[in-house]
Amino acid sequence: MNDPALEIRFAQESDQKYLIEWLLQPGVLQWFPLEGLREVEDAARLWMSYMKQGAVLTAVWEGIPCGIANLYLQPYKKLSHQSLFAIIVDEKLRGKGIGTKLLQDLILLAKERFKLELVHLEVYEGNPAIRLYERLGFQRYGIQKKFVKDGGQYLNKILMQRTI
Amino acid sequence: MTFLASFDIRYSELEDLSALEEWFSDPNSCDDYPFGFDERQDALKNWIGFSKFKASLTGTLEGKPCAIATLFLMPYKKVVHHCGFYLVVDPAHRRKGIGLSMLRNILHVAKTRFSLEGVHVEIFEPSPLLPLLEKSNFKIFARQENYIKIEGQPRPRLLLEHFFYE
Repeated sequence: MNDPALEIRFAQESDQKYLIEWLLQPGVLQWFPLEGLREVEDAARLWMSYMKQGAVLTAVWEGIPCGIANLYLQPYKKLSHQSLFAIIVDEKLRGKGIGTKLLQDLILLAKERFKLELVHLEVYEGNPAIRLYERLGFQRYGIQKKFVKDGGQYLNKILMQRTI
Repeated sequence: MTFLASFDIRYSELEDLSALEEWFSDPNSCDDYPFGFDERQDALKNWIGFSKFKASLTGTLEGKPCAIATLFLMPYKKVVHHCGFYLVVDPAHRRKGIGLSMLRNILHVAKTRFSLEGVHVEIFEPSPLLPLLEKSNFKIFARQENYIKIEGQPRPRLLLEHFFYE
């Protein structure tokens, strides 16, 4: 899909406030290991810190940021051929293909700019985003039981990867 | 097993960094860890940093450090019920049962001091730690091909977990 309203660009510092806003939208944190503003701000800072290396992309819908994806580039040489990544789309703008385009561009960035051979992700069981990952060729390579404990309820973490 | 007479375990101290540095002074010593030989300084400082939380144990022989096992406590509330760990035994004192003793003791600390429900660990195949982990009832929950490259050669990583209550 190539919607003229959608643009993908490198992230800017000013995008961090959107990331925090999207993480704090109702129901979103159930899919992240975070709880409360302090943890969200902490995670958002880490997420956006990869901007310095050009490893964070922002999706913009009609001029307004609507999604962010980043590569957690590995700090060690032995691991530098692969990377974990994270992605989020503004809940108000889901279903428009933004996640697909953002992830496709992130994979392209991983391959072309960082010469990565493998990208991988962590997602909790039941997250609808799993369908997106499967559609884009990600395959499960493991499952970590009881990874998250939220209000006494456990969620398993699914590990997925894709060779690029 | 005469070494047992002088073997003891205490909480780690920041000063144990020098023992870690000594054990990782051989270029191949980092092969079973994600950090490389040139990157070990920061990695080892971060490792021993968990001693500030009493999350690290040091094995000693005649008062001299011979092994360190450390829990890498999780930073977020929803995941504080488990954590990963590192274990290393002085190359001069391997195959004496020290690793197993350290593993059992760090699991005890995880369960009793931090009230964890489980621990997990990352190893790279082939790993000398695998038999020890299997003996201690760790189960593999993920195998990822080509995760790490040692001198350009890809090796898979195994992720294993151990639950205290099931």
